[in-house]
Amino acid sequence: MTRFARLYLAQIGAAIRCAFADRANFTLQVGGMLLNDLFFLTLWWMFFAGFHSVGGWERRDMALLMGMTTIIVGVCGGLFGGYRDLAATILKGELDALLTQPKGLIGRLLARESIASAWGDMGAGVVVLAGFAELSWVDLPWLLVALAAGSTVFLTASISFATLAFWASGARSFARELTDFMLLFSSYPGSIYRGAVKAIAFTVLPAGFVVMLPMQLIREPGWAALGVVMLGAIAHAALAVALFHLGLARYRRGATPGSA
Amino acid sequence: MTSTPLTADARAPSLLPAAWAAFRIGAGQTAAGWTVLAGRCLFYTLIMVVISALWDKVAAEQVAGAIRLSGDLAIYVGATEWITLSLPALHIKFEDEIRGGQLEPHLLRPKPYLLMTFAQSLGGALVRMAALGATGMTLLLLSGRARPPMEAFGYLAVLGVLALIVGMLLYGLAGLGAFWARRVLPFQLVIQKLMFLLGGLFAPISLYPGWLRQVGEASPFAAHLYWAGAQVMAPSFGMFATALAWQGFWIVVLTGGWVILWRAGLAKVLREGGA
Repeated sequence: MTRFARLYLAQIGAAIRCAFADRANFTLQVGGMLLNDLFFLTLWWMFFAGFHSVGGWERRDMALLMGMTTIIVGVCGGLFGGYRDLAATILKGELDALLTQPKGLIGRLLARESIASAWGDMGAGVVVLAGFAELSWVDLPWLLVALAAGSTVFLTASISFATLAFWASGARSFARELTDFMLLFSSYPGSIYRGAVKAIAFTVLPAGFVVMLPMQLIREPGWAALGVVMLGAIAHAALAVALFHLGLARYRRGATPGSA
Repeated sequence: MTSTPLTADARAPSLLPAAWAAFRIGAGQTAAGWTVLAGRCLFYTLIMVVISALWDKVAAEQVAGAIRLSGDLAIYVGATEWITLSLPALHIKFEDEIRGGQLEPHLLRPKPYLLMTFAQSLGGALVRMAALGATGMTLLLLSGRARPPMEAFGYLAVLGVLALIVGMLLYGLAGLGAFWARRVLPFQLVIQKLMFLLGGLFAPISLYPGWLRQVGEASPFAAHLYWAGAQVMAPSFGMFATALAWQGFWIVVLTGGWVILWRAGLAKVLREGGA
């Protein structure tokens, strides 16, 4: 496990240095994303100035949601950036070269890239949480657990979507769209979802496990809430690993996407 | 190496069939990629589910001291998202071709690059607009919401197409930034967020304080979204005419912006190369 972690750190370190190498581009991407996130914050600020609350959610709740979502997307993009185009990597047959290398295939795929703009997301998320979410130092341990669990669900759900590429040739854009749908669901107050929409948010597009339940853990900490959040993260991680290895076994047999 | 000018000249009549052919190619390509089109319609459906849930919740609660909503904002957002999701990724095409060195072969061709690219993208965008329009109408019927008056759909059809052109010109400006910047994502993000703030993508700018509403109404972002979307809330010929005037004005101004950026960028490429 330690060897795997050291290998991953070395690989992602190289990807990060690569992203930093073009300073002007990096600055532009990070600055653009910061501006983007601050615009969103302004919009929600104006929204709550006009409407005060939505289903019991107030400005500070929206700030917490936004801060968590941007940090989760930032962490995944900055430290596991290969997830974003994983389906394309599978479809292009780029696994072949990696299969000849020592174990840790998923890690190698995730460490292929560090998305420059993701660092802007991380920065914006920290600013939003620190400045607007009305958190105290007591909340910090819960926040860290919530962010770790949310990032795990977001990342592993994206991997699960990308594994569709082992079976379907049109999976590249579909997998990205599913990830974007999950992000869309994670960007609005959880109180607006009811019935079938809420069911979608906790199953197919697990925004419920990415931010809604982790947020609940921060606002109302407790062992039960912690258990549900951790269980959700472990279940999604296990599902992603299982789907990936199922697809990989098919890939090793030489089956191409779409074939029987 | 020379470039054929974008502006109309003595060869304008010969350009129209070429532009029409490019338009048809774009429409055909988009229709052929029906799975992508279906994905876009699914995305539209999901966005509408989420945003309708938000605005319905706000309307149902009517918190004391909050802004009163004057109409069904879900239908307004349905119209603005219809336009937004119909837009082609023209900025990415420009970025790819300018940064990837694929521009040079185009410059040797007898037809203007910008016109051909614009016409092809418009063809694809209108196919998307038709598919998303059908999806939107189906959602409206299934939702059981009160339908806007019939004339609103007529106004929306005209303003929607012009709004699409305004949006393409705006994102095209971001794409032409690729002559100077490696990635146009930051320009795109800024324009996208101004669509939210001044364009009224998320909520009509008529809800804003007076000064901000006036700034928004006069901006190209409102010409892209607000003026068309507002027709489904309170349609009137007077507002339709105002919307047409603003859209016409911004189409002329933004086209001028394209020509200026194109000429400056092309001069840079011819002088320094495209890398």
